[in-house]
Amino acid sequence: MAFCIAVIGKDNAPLYLATSDLERELDLQYHVHAALDVVEEKCLIGKGAPDSKELYLGLLYSTEIHKIYGFVTNSRVKFIVVIDSSNVALRENEVRAIFRNLHMLYTDAVCNPFYIPGEQLFSKKFDRAVQKLMNGST
Amino acid sequence: MRATVQPHAPSVEPVMSRLDYEQNALHHSCLLVLLRGVGPSRARILQRAFEKVRRVNNIKVTDSSGIVRTIYFRFIHEHPVEHNDWGDFQTHRRLLGLITIGKFENQTELNELCRHHESLKVRYGGTLYESRAIFFGPDAQPSDSIGNHKDGITTVDNAQADASIDLGHKETQHPLAAGRLQDEFTTPSNFKSQAFFYREQDNCIDLESRVSDFLNALFWVLESRRLERSREKAEKVSLLLAPFEKRDFVGLDMESRNNRKRCVGRVMKNLADLSLQAGLLDDALSLYHNANETLRSVGDSLWVGASEEGLCAASAVILYPQMRTSPLRNTPEKWRASDATKKINTPANCADAITSNSSSCSSVSSLLTNNSSASGTPTTSSSSSTSTISAAPFGHQRNGELPGNILKPEEITNYYRKAIINYSKYRHAATIETEAALKATRICIEQNRPLDVAMFLQNILYINLSLSEAERVKRFEIITELYQQIGYQRKAAFFQRLAALKHVQQGSQAPDWTQSYRLMLGSFTGYLLSLDPLEVLENAAGWPALQIDLAQNLITAARRLGQSALATRHMTFLLQTQWDNMTATEQSEMAVQLQNLSAQCEGSPVPLVLENGTVIPPANLTDLPYCLEMVVKDLPTHLRPQRIKIAKADSGPFLFTPIHFNSVDRRDKKKDKNKIAFLWVQNDLSEVCVRLRNPLPFELAVTDMRLLSNGVVFESLPQTVILQPHVPTNVSLHGTPIETGQLDLQGYSTHTLGVKSNCRLKHMRGRHLPPNYLVDVIPALPRISVKTSLPQTATFSNMNKADIVVTSASLTLYNGESSSCTITIKNESSTLPLEHLEVNINSNVEQELQKKMFRIDEQALQAQLPVAPQGMLEFVVYIYAEADFVCPMPAGSLNSSADYGPSSMSHYASVSSGHASLPAGISSPQHRRQDSMQHAASRSTISAAQHSLAALSLQPGGADTSSSLRPQQLTQHIEAQLRLKYSGGEALVAGYCRQCAVSLNLELIPSVQITSWDVLPAEMQFYLVLDISNLTAQEMSLNYTDNKNILIEAKESCRVPIPVDRCSLEQVCAARAAEVAENLERERVKINWLLTGTDIQGVASLRGIVLSHGMVDLTTVSPLEWSISFQDAPVQPHSEIVATVGQRAQLSINLTNQSLQPLKNLVLTIKFYQDYLNGMENYNLETRVAISGPNRITIPVLEKHAQTQHNCSVIFFTPGRFKTSIECVTKPQSHQRNSISTGRSYPAGSTTTSQLETTSTSSFDEQQAHTWKFIPPIEVTVVEQ
Repeated sequence: MAFCIAVIGKDNAPLYLATSDLERELDLQYHVHAALDVVEEKCLIGKGAPDSKELYLGLLYSTEIHKIYGFVTNSRVKFIVVIDSSNVALRENEVRAIFRNLHMLYTDAVCNPFYIPGEQLFSKKFDRAVQKLMNGST
Repeated sequence: MRATVQPHAPSVEPVMSRLDYEQNALHHSCLLVLLRGVGPSRARILQRAFEKVRRVNNIKVTDSSGIVRTIYFRFIHEHPVEHNDWGDFQTHRRLLGLITIGKFENQTELNELCRHHESLKVRYGGTLYESRAIFFGPDAQPSDSIGNHKDGITTVDNAQADASIDLGHKETQHPLAAGRLQDEFTTPSNFKSQAFFYREQDNCIDLESRVSDFLNALFWVLESRRLERSREKAEKVSLLLAPFEKRDFVGLDMESRNNRKRCVGRVMKNLADLSLQAGLLDDALSLYHNANETLRSVGDSLWVGASEEGLCAASAVILYPQMRTSPLRNTPEKWRASDATKKINTPANCADAITSNSSSCSSVSSLLTNNSSASGTPTTSSSSSTSTISAAPFGHQRNGELPGNILKPEEITNYYRKAIINYSKYRHAATIETEAALKATRICIEQNRPLDVAMFLQNILYINLSLSEAERVKRFEIITELYQQIGYQRKAAFFQRLAALKHVQQGSQAPDWTQSYRLMLGSFTGYLLSLDPLEVLENAAGWPALQIDLAQNLITAARRLGQSALATRHMTFLLQTQWDNMTATEQSEMAVQLQNLSAQCEGSPVPLVLENGTVIPPANLTDLPYCLEMVVKDLPTHLRPQRIKIAKADSGPFLFTPIHFNSVDRRDKKKDKNKIAFLWVQNDLSEVCVRLRNPLPFELAVTDMRLLSNGVVFESLPQTVILQPHVPTNVSLHGTPIETGQLDLQGYSTHTLGVKSNCRLKHMRGRHLPPNYLVDVIPALPRISVKTSLPQTATFSNMNKADIVVTSASLTLYNGESSSCTITIKNESSTLPLEHLEVNINSNVEQELQKKMFRIDEQALQAQLPVAPQGMLEFVVYIYAEADFVCPMPAGSLNSSADYGPSSMSHYASVSSGHASLPAGISSPQHRRQDSMQHAASRSTISAAQHSLAALSLQPGGADTSSSLRPQQLTQHIEAQLRLKYSGGEALVAGYCRQCAVSLNLELIPSVQITSWDVLPAEMQFYLVLDISNLTAQEMSLNYTDNKNILIEAKESCRVPIPVDRCSLEQVCAARAAEVAENLERERVKINWLLTGTDIQGVASLRGIVLSHGMVDLTTVSPLEWSISFQDAPVQPHSEIVATVGQRAQLSINLTNQSLQPLKNLVLTIKFYQDYLNGMENYNLETRVAISGPNRITIPVLEKHAQTQHNCSVIFFTPGRFKTSIECVTKPQSHQRNSISTGRSYPAGSTTTSQLETTSTSSFDEQQAHTWKFIPPIEVTVVEQ
């Protein structure tokens, strides 16, 4: 389903990045990276209204091939999911679901007492789960 | 300007009109003028003219109703003719005016310029209203007549209907040059336009006014067109078409109601455009609204879009007039900086514009809604069915007040969106759509709505536009620029990189690496990369994978450009900054790449400046090789500078305390962490040790490694190493400080992988390295080399400070031998004199002994100073092999002493053949041995009962002696250091010196040994009898008195009697007996030995010989002087005294105390005995002799120089030979009855060593029992009567 799932720290450093296609990983990284501007902008807008508990940022931008969705946690960790544009069957709700799942996986991974917040995530378990999530088998 | 920049622009236009990326909404209101340089361009001259023309971008016109309108113009340099085709669709796309600027030198060129102008006129003839040509001619020749050359200009003036007033007087200044030019050169006949002539150096004062006139002309034509259009009857209007629509309407019924409406709507829209251009904003707005309504009702999407866009443009013209003068001057930094101001910014601008006029409302939106609702303008649904396409009822714009039907700022975006959606329905309107999106973007930037900006820009990418590659790139670049304006650096970088890649993408016919490189470099900031590797490492931010990729692309671009220096630099940068983010394989690959790149151009740590002025700061491979440690080395110990006078250490009572009393101490310590404790010396080669690790899997050659320093001048020596993979290697870097002062060692420079790098410690991360090391350099010190006259030793000593030893000397001596060693010091320095030299000796023997062994003539040494540079100095060390010659007593050597006596005497009498005259009586003295010997513990076993012994504790023979040799007597090694402290020159003034040492290894071989000794009395002298062993392997000649020699075979022993003068008791009375003995013997006894056959000779000292008290008594002169008379005749030694049986003989004994002290408790004993001369003496003579009075007389005290006399009578009963033993014994007080009074009561035999020592400080006489005898005993021959 998803091409790429990325977890980005609050200082915009990549914490984790998984892609379905290794050859295109670099290209996807460029896209994810470029999406950060919009994420930041949206976070900025969200800041004004503290009531808005909406973590889902929606579609950040889309290209011919990709649709890029964003999600930001309360600790300003950003999730970015790149989805195939041609897959029209994928509803926004499903994207939300992906993010929800990802958020849970992330919290689980971060709960590891040996993980230092702000460092790259190297959890195998997390990796496996994310790969599953990407393949849409959840 | 652009005219000169753009010649490469493709001349073949695509079918669709080319995109105008620069457009913004306000351009809708501008009149388009083509400003073109023609002919062979001479940029410099034309530039000025271009700018002058360009400056006149608006004119103010008072129209017939007296309202001042501001008309704007847009100058462009390039205009595809096809764009004019869209002129009906959007009038601002139509080219209305033409100005050419050219420079000519002669008539031919002028003709050419005119031809150009005319051809342009023809090209844009369809839309052109008017044209002008500006020609610059050659400079004037001085003597030219002022002819009638004003024609051209006057015609110009005439042609312009509304010449401004000030033109007239400007003209008066001008005519000289211009007129003449026109006179000289004539335009060809087919040139119908108006031309202005100027000299090349003319400052063309009137140019602006002329341009202004020209623009006025344009306006009036436009205004007339507008009026024409506005007067058209709605029923009569023809259908306006966009270029691609032409076919669509073929054969349609144009008279249908729908199409009528369509026609009307389109014309209305067209009129709105014209009104907008003509400065009638209110009219334009109303017309747009109306057109929008009309067109929407017939579903003419394209034109609906156009009217919507027009509405936006008209609103923007009113709301954002600042966009015209300074397009997008709002820098993103400014408005991204503070969020607070961000949202207010744009509305506030509007508010400012309105509040002055609005009486009741403060907020724009409310004002606008009020207005619109009040006026009922058809923003909502009220359809206005105007029969004529006239101006809106609102009439004219009231000064400064916003028209009621203007779009609100937030509406503009929506309208643009709608317009774009409408456009997007038409494939052929893609250009329009793209341009609309760009315009919308610019408006959104002005409104500070970055998300909308992003949305519009993103949308641009969707527009399916068949573009040339160059155009595509241009599109990316413009997107980049716009993203940058809203501060979306990442987005901007993304597109910039895309543009860069497009420039050189595969299949591209002419890859433009220069552009690609420029764009790549530009996108660095977006990826949080800086050109300075230090900054990148400092920030450690961004996405490593992207950074690596970007850097690699950049390297490729640089390489393709042929800029090897840049490629090398970027590769270095990549390695340096992304090292940690690469895998090991990547690292080594990159390193190899760098090596290949640098083979073409070596990298060096200097900034590179690009053509566009960008400075690429140096990149240094600080961690390749990886520096693990850097240690500043002290000088070699023997060259290390020291203080001549060691400063007194803190003299507090506590040498060390772990408590820090104040924090100041600690802070100081911290501050000086990088301060090196030791000193370096000017002009001395110094060393820094660096431990390096090669992180690459192959051998790394590092050449030209040098130290980097600041502060004093430092000459660094290059070093080359080849580092094996992953093995830490120590590298020594050398250098010489040339000046004195503080040297700041900052790191080192390397040359590896073809790149020169300055590796400074402060840039090395992740290690605990100080940012630099500070070393003090003191003035130069001289250096010396030391040579000795003795052979060197193979082994160095392990003595203290062995490291300062520079040379060594070894010497083998027999005990007692003397030798010398000449030490030569050469001042090695070529400039400095040796002015200070201190010599002292340290050794592993005691100080006292050392003094005896080594001697240096200090004065002679000092007299040779100073030593000139390269000069020499010599001095001699005298060495004497001092050793213990006395063998400590073997325990078993005394137990048989009783057996000796005469036999032993005879033994050594036989040996000392030259001394046969020694009287036998010497064996008779009795030694009281109740005192134990001080040094030989074994002697304390001797009981006091043995006091009658003739204690000759000599050892019997040579064989015995050799077997009893002690290990101590084996070869002895002595190590000594001759330490030299030297200095000179300025350093001496500063108080520094150097220290070096010569190691002296002495081997002392035993020569002579005194195995035992005794003292035998003689008359005026005494004999010191020594058993001397020759421990050498050679025959030895022993000289023991002035003229007596004895030869001793190797390993043999012999007994030597040495006559010694007695010394007076006064000399010794206060001293201890043992010491006395020692001193005595050393002073008077000299035993010289010589190894026969060699010239090895020496002196044996008797130190260590300990004499018992009895012996001491013998060595001293008796304090008692005997004066004995028998039968009134004084007794002479060995004189014959004859007495008669039965007759009384008078014996008178007179004692005189010659000593300085009184003698106490003397007991005088007189005994007669018969000596059978066979060793038997008979004391039981009660039947043969009788003495009147006691034979024991006690003399309590005998004062100094006092005399005492004892007289008695002797009667011999039988004849015979009698001997008289007269002796005087002092008893220690302990032996006396009055022991209580003295407080001392020692049993005679139990006097221990310790007691002896405690009492030895008392008077000599009082302590010990002394026996003084009158010798020889008196011999009396008794004869019968």
